[in-house]
Amino acid sequence: MQFKCNQNLPERAVHIALKGPDGGCKRGDGSGCFIASNVASTPGDMTERGCTYAGCRGVVGGPVKDAIQLTHGPIGCAFFSWGYRPHLADSDFHMKYTFVSDMNESNIVFGGEKKLLQCIVEASQEFPDAKAVFIYNTCATALIGDDGRDVAKQAEELIGKPVVFFECEGFKGVSQSQGHHVGNETIFRQLVGSVEPEGDFSRTINIVGDYNIKNDMRTFEPLFEAMGVRILTRFTGNVSVEDLKIMHKASLNVVHCQRSATYIADMMKDKYGTPYINVTLWGIKHMSDALRQTAAFFGLEAEAERVIEAELAKIMPQINYYRQRLTGKKVFIYQGGPRTWHWIELLRELGMETMFAATTFGHDDDYRKIFDQIADGALVVDNPNVPEIEEILSVHKPDLFISGNKEKYVAYKLGVPFVNGHTYDTGPYAGFSGMVTFARDIDKALHAPIWKLLRSHARSAPLRPGA
Amino acid sequence: MSSVTKQARAVAINPTRACAPMGAMLAAFGVHGAITINHGSQGCATYPRHQMARHFREPIEVATTSLTEKTTVYGGKSNLLAALKNIWERFQPTMIMVCSTCLSETIGDDIPAIIDEFLDKNPEVDIPIISVKTPSYVGTHTTGFDNFLKEVALRLPARRAKNDAGNGKVNLVPGWVNPGDVRELKAMLREMGVDTIWLTDYEETLDGGYYEPRPHLPRGGTSVAELRDSSRSLATIALQRYIGGEAAKVYQQRHSVPSHILPMPIGLANTDKLLDTLSQVTGKPIPAAVQVDRARLLDALVDTHMFTTGLRVALYGDPDLLEGLTRLVAEMGMQPAFVLTAADNGPWGNTMLALAEELGVECEILMKADLHELHKRIKANPVDLLLGHSKGKFISDAEDIPLIRVGFPVEDRFGYHRRAIVGYNGATYLVDEITNAVFARRATAVVSNTLLEVGVEGPTDVPMGCGCGGG
Repeated sequence: MQFKCNQNLPERAVHIALKGPDGGCKRGDGSGCFIASNVASTPGDMTERGCTYAGCRGVVGGPVKDAIQLTHGPIGCAFFSWGYRPHLADSDFHMKYTFVSDMNESNIVFGGEKKLLQCIVEASQEFPDAKAVFIYNTCATALIGDDGRDVAKQAEELIGKPVVFFECEGFKGVSQSQGHHVGNETIFRQLVGSVEPEGDFSRTINIVGDYNIKNDMRTFEPLFEAMGVRILTRFTGNVSVEDLKIMHKASLNVVHCQRSATYIADMMKDKYGTPYINVTLWGIKHMSDALRQTAAFFGLEAEAERVIEAELAKIMPQINYYRQRLTGKKVFIYQGGPRTWHWIELLRELGMETMFAATTFGHDDDYRKIFDQIADGALVVDNPNVPEIEEILSVHKPDLFISGNKEKYVAYKLGVPFVNGHTYDTGPYAGFSGMVTFARDIDKALHAPIWKLLRSHARSAPLRPGA
Repeated sequence: MSSVTKQARAVAINPTRACAPMGAMLAAFGVHGAITINHGSQGCATYPRHQMARHFREPIEVATTSLTEKTTVYGGKSNLLAALKNIWERFQPTMIMVCSTCLSETIGDDIPAIIDEFLDKNPEVDIPIISVKTPSYVGTHTTGFDNFLKEVALRLPARRAKNDAGNGKVNLVPGWVNPGDVRELKAMLREMGVDTIWLTDYEETLDGGYYEPRPHLPRGGTSVAELRDSSRSLATIALQRYIGGEAAKVYQQRHSVPSHILPMPIGLANTDKLLDTLSQVTGKPIPAAVQVDRARLLDALVDTHMFTTGLRVALYGDPDLLEGLTRLVAEMGMQPAFVLTAADNGPWGNTMLALAEELGVECEILMKADLHELHKRIKANPVDLLLGHSKGKFISDAEDIPLIRVGFPVEDRFGYHRRAIVGYNGATYLVDEITNAVFARRATAVVSNTLLEVGVEGPTDVPMGCGCGGG
């Protein structure tokens, strides 16, 4: 499998593979080795990847609803990470406000530690109700050697609340994935287990690795609760600092995003002996499995069956309606990491097959999970760049492209129906009820009259005058 | 008395500015077939791409050198060389712009020297490759745009031959505007019969159409040949002092192309200034169609003045935009109570003080300030309207004050990048938009014209302290 656009980029071949008829991986360089992933991008290939800061501030730390989100660095990182990812909560301080130490040239020359300390104090004076200050380090402040950990310690004494310093400078890893790791590790080290609450936690779980995009959690939380399980802490969608401090008390971690949050489940298992299960909270089979597995842990199997039966009775008429409208469609999923494999089964339940799959920052285990589930003959690409995406869309012409906001307009310019899988078009998409929303959005994307109009009415570009 | 205040707080809360690389990237979209390489962490390219995609709703394709931990130790040279090669071979661009970042500036990469090395090693590369300094810790997003224009003015125009007759064209530097603004300016210049070289022109590249097949390079943009030819123009007119003003001076100094640096043409008087300058430079009269547009703006100002006179407004954004808007809101009889920018720009502060005095308005001019500061001011001294980009929506929501969306980014509404706020028609649009916001606020249950006019008899709950409004 070769891309035309990669004629001059032979190094990309190891990141492109077909699933062979025998279920094996046929890589673009002709070898039988597994697809390469989680390595540095090719400079100038137009990767879609972000940075370590983005993974930490944007994904893991950002959703914490009552922490001051303070970026230690120049202005841009804070501006761009402010308020666009819909990791909602039952309050909106974390969505409305961004804080930055606003390093200028002389701070870069003489160091920014003093200014950072002042910023922490000022921010906490302006917002006394905030429960902690989260500080995210950036490229510039890491390079000049600011000792943010030490500043955080001093600040903690001054303001009397946790000051959590994330060493998530952008250049640290090969993608935003490194930022997830830093986020997990730092929250675990500085917050988890810092208080010991009284009470009965015997039937509690943490939902680990869900960020409550467009209120995803509302679709599945009531189902766990209906089985008789209480959700203690959400890591980190709709979560408070207090929730994070006590998350070690839960009996079980239910891990949803296994790329960005398995780290904390592993650390809790090591330190507190908390067991965890891996689940997918999208789609009929996976959501049912998640409830069954959780129930099995607590001996609530009968309750789980009751909940699943009631939910399926509600959604199946609608799912069946959409399935007959969507059957046979070929899909290209390109997501950050796990959503690519989370959704293969969901789409199959709607009668569609994923024939093109890609992730921005997936690791080996993500690609194993893709290959386990995806159809024979499917094309898998690691860290695809803009020309590769364009080639898949224009040469292979999938019926539907599921990806993020940046890629949306590329798809639209090429006339390919698109659903926003990152932040959802209308969402939420999780759980049973969310699947109906997902199916409805896919149906809308595929069957909107615009595509017929384009086919019958679009024209070629007029020449530029004088060209 | 108007005053200039600098925010004292060290921590920035809800900044109204982004960083320099984005400005350079945006400007580069105005050169046909140009590609940007952002020399830094991947986020330095991906974040601004994401931001621009939310505003323009177009593909925003920018390359990054993907610097990682290793390169911070050994330098980013090999990554930049590889990126230049990959972009050249894969895309055959007409120009490459390399912008720096905090990371590449702090580790001290000498980008111009690396570009020279690339050109030495690859003699077949016959396109201009320019380097623009854009660390985030200097200035704002406007700095990157301005630095790009300066670099273009220094590097691209061909040396002018002695006794060269010139090309009869005008170099126009619109600054940080929307595609819709460029479209409006183009319409005026076309009507006037003025040939223009745009520095730069993303009217179509960032507000493109749907075509089958999709063109290999997006339609539109100023060609490199035009930029080469820009040293032979009649004059350079910069429509923003702090974005492009310096570039205009370069044309004057290097190529003896006279420069005219004007306030952003928002409102009646500022647009008059642009047209008078154009007329003077080209010797062409102001065309009838443009005069009709001008008269229509005056008519709109007359029709609406009873609804707008005396309203207190808060403006925030970039210095040039604010200078233009301040004049327009004063023309509408409104009081620009707060004018807030993130820039730390002393000369601009003085210009604004003089402007406030000339207009007979009283305003507090806030520099180096953020939206949290503006929110606090508004809580203490309420305003009737907010004018600025989408990030002010949190103040608008919290205080229930209408927000008129102008500037960048407008990410929570559709199609604002297509609208013009410059020129007579842009001003008329703003007059309509502002007046309608007042109507919507004061008479939400309107069913007839009579009721509507009862409902909007002017500000009732705010003292009118306005020199122009009758307070």
